[in-house]
Amino acid sequence: MNKQIYLDYNATVPLLKEVKKSIINCMEIGPLNASSIHFYGRKGKDIIELARKNIGQLINSNKNNIIFTSSATEAINLLFNNFKNIIVSSIEHLAVLSSSRSEHVIPVNQDGIIDLNFMELYLKKIVKNDQPTLISVMWVNNETGVIQPIQDVIKIAKKHKCLVHCDAAQALGKININFEELELDFLTLSGHKIGAPTGIGALIYNDKINLTPQILGGGQEKGMRAGTENILGIRGFGEAAKLMDNPLENGCNNVKFLRDFFEERIKKLRPETIIFGEKANRVSNTILIALPNIPGDLALMKLDLESFSVSSGSACSSGKISKSHVVSAMGYDKLAYNSVRFSFPPNDAILYSENLISTKELDRLARCWSSL
Amino acid sequence: MININQIINEMDLEGNPSDHRVVVAMSGGVDSSVTAALLVEAGFQVVGLTMQLYDYGRALQKKGACCAGSDINDARLVSSKLGIPHYVLNYESIFQDQVMNDFADSYLKGETPIPCVRCNQTVKFTDMFSRAKKLGASAMATGHYIRRKNQLGNPSLHTGIDLSKDQSYFLFATTKKQLDFVRFPLGSLTKEETRSVAKRHELNVADKPDSQDICFVPEGKYAEVVRKLRPGRIDKGDIIDLNGNVIGKHNGIIDFTIGQRKGIGIGGRKGVDDSNSILYVIALDSKKNHVIVGPKEFLSCNKIKISECNWIIDLPQKSKFKVLVKLRSSSEPVIGTIKANFDSSFVFLHFDEPQFGVSTGQAAVFYNINERSHVLGGGWITEAPNKLADNNINNA
Repeated sequence: MNKQIYLDYNATVPLLKEVKKSIINCMEIGPLNASSIHFYGRKGKDIIELARKNIGQLINSNKNNIIFTSSATEAINLLFNNFKNIIVSSIEHLAVLSSSRSEHVIPVNQDGIIDLNFMELYLKKIVKNDQPTLISVMWVNNETGVIQPIQDVIKIAKKHKCLVHCDAAQALGKININFEELELDFLTLSGHKIGAPTGIGALIYNDKINLTPQILGGGQEKGMRAGTENILGIRGFGEAAKLMDNPLENGCNNVKFLRDFFEERIKKLRPETIIFGEKANRVSNTILIALPNIPGDLALMKLDLESFSVSSGSACSSGKISKSHVVSAMGYDKLAYNSVRFSFPPNDAILYSENLISTKELDRLARCWSSL
Repeated sequence: MININQIINEMDLEGNPSDHRVVVAMSGGVDSSVTAALLVEAGFQVVGLTMQLYDYGRALQKKGACCAGSDINDARLVSSKLGIPHYVLNYESIFQDQVMNDFADSYLKGETPIPCVRCNQTVKFTDMFSRAKKLGASAMATGHYIRRKNQLGNPSLHTGIDLSKDQSYFLFATTKKQLDFVRFPLGSLTKEETRSVAKRHELNVADKPDSQDICFVPEGKYAEVVRKLRPGRIDKGDIIDLNGNVIGKHNGIIDFTIGQRKGIGIGGRKGVDDSNSILYVIALDSKKNHVIVGPKEFLSCNKIKISECNWIIDLPQKSKFKVLVKLRSSSEPVIGTIKANFDSSFVFLHFDEPQFGVSTGQAAVFYNINERSHVLGGGWITEAPNKLADNNINNA
């Protein structure tokens, strides 16, 4: 029996050891309902505010304008419920595509990068000044790992007086995020993409804009998200953010080495492999590939039976794999059922905290791929 | 009592069970779940595959319902309990093309189709087979009550021990080549034994009722499904008697089956009360959009043409031989004589006794006249001329 090799970090990062420790410590403090006025209530509030500070530091937002939600998806829904006019890119996550219900879709080119010329012309055509318009573009695509030119998106959007939301779920922990510098209006994050537990996300907002909450009740999270806070999740998210809070610029070299090693092996062993977004600026940990005649679900099953955990297309809760809308949007419609994603740890810090993946194992993986 | 060694022997795979990967087609029902359980017990490397065939939420017209329904989830729970990998195959478009469209078109032609056989023939025993092979499996097992015997390297197909559950009618199209790869571990079990295995393994499906309907037809309302699949193609028309008199109206010939007596919608006719007055659907004329009704004697059918024949035996030398033939899944087999020219894919079959209510679109499945359990093959009934047709031919 081979050792299980996990290469699906873009789906979820395993709970980091330090995060787990912080959560257990938190559990041992006692009853922590942050809305209570007494000793334990104050303790709870402190924990939440510390987490907010840690996350704020990681994304350079010092205004405390962070609302905790159950997931990035919930944060996106909370935000989108406030807008009638939303413009999205064609490669957004389903959390954005489904909840925006938008018919205004900006295409991407074959490298998976948003078409800025199209966007400029489109905004000129449809934005009406009397109606607030929100543009939603992801920072890093979850399937290809392609980094979007978010600064240019913001520049064009501002020219047309649009507000900008950036889904940064896949950017967090992989590249530097500077909320203040960017003139972003909204940012959404997910805890389990950086080693916090699942069930915790956040909306970062520009405090000049009033939002209406979608969950009403006891007025938690400044009235923006009622319901007793998920204090263990928040504690874990804060701790994970603290662990990431070191300069990331040089913090992905080892991840990149492994990803590139795997990429080279595949190109050598199976040259007809297509690497999506190969020419684009990608984060260091992601590679999305396809073979012309091999359905992605077959590849995934065979690799799983060989103890490699990877992912393909977009899976419904039934486990049924549908075609990848991202691959389709990049113009590879015939390969949309064939793509398979390998995602390594988001950065070197997480790579080291995990059992290191060896080049020997990656070589075996590349051989499995080439024998499909 | 179930003998696991017998199960291992019947799997007919050389070497140790642990040397072999076996894919189990898991529907989420108790039969395929127990198939997987028995093979795990026997020591095979079992992999569960479940087909997603249609959008369950859409079929039931439930807003917001998951596309998968509860069966896939049951299959997953069973796999998890058994500790085996389980995957879902997205066969929605193949199923639509090869099974549902055929089902609808068959009804439009005035036939009564059996989509389950088409599904076995295409999706299950073609696409899923190929997937199982690609996954490196030595065999694919299903939960059908049917037996595969291998004598002298020549596998043959036999009815299940539990005749009340026998599914050979639905598997006549299994080719000899497919029979090399497919296995039916439940063929030697009774349904009670199957349920007892499920209970012993504490499977959540142990008491799940057997499925009764065609999977994509909720509550047996097949006509509604056909109307949805072929909107605008189903017209109202006349119900006529044997003399061509219009005696009623219908909402579409798809609502009728040859031999149907109840619910024709022409009740309460005055002045007729002899036994000959009970009217049956004698024919469905899709060209004129007529439902033709008449007394039972006109249903009598002496011979049928059977197309797309599949033979699971070495072809007999004689071109004329007697077989037992089953004309509906629920009916007892009858005796007939096959006249075959094995160069062509169709045969003619003459009944010893005339049969009533034979409908095209159904399968005719042949069994050995000397060994009732041995399935010889079968095909699709494409012509079943009854007395009405004979009359027309005579008049012509």
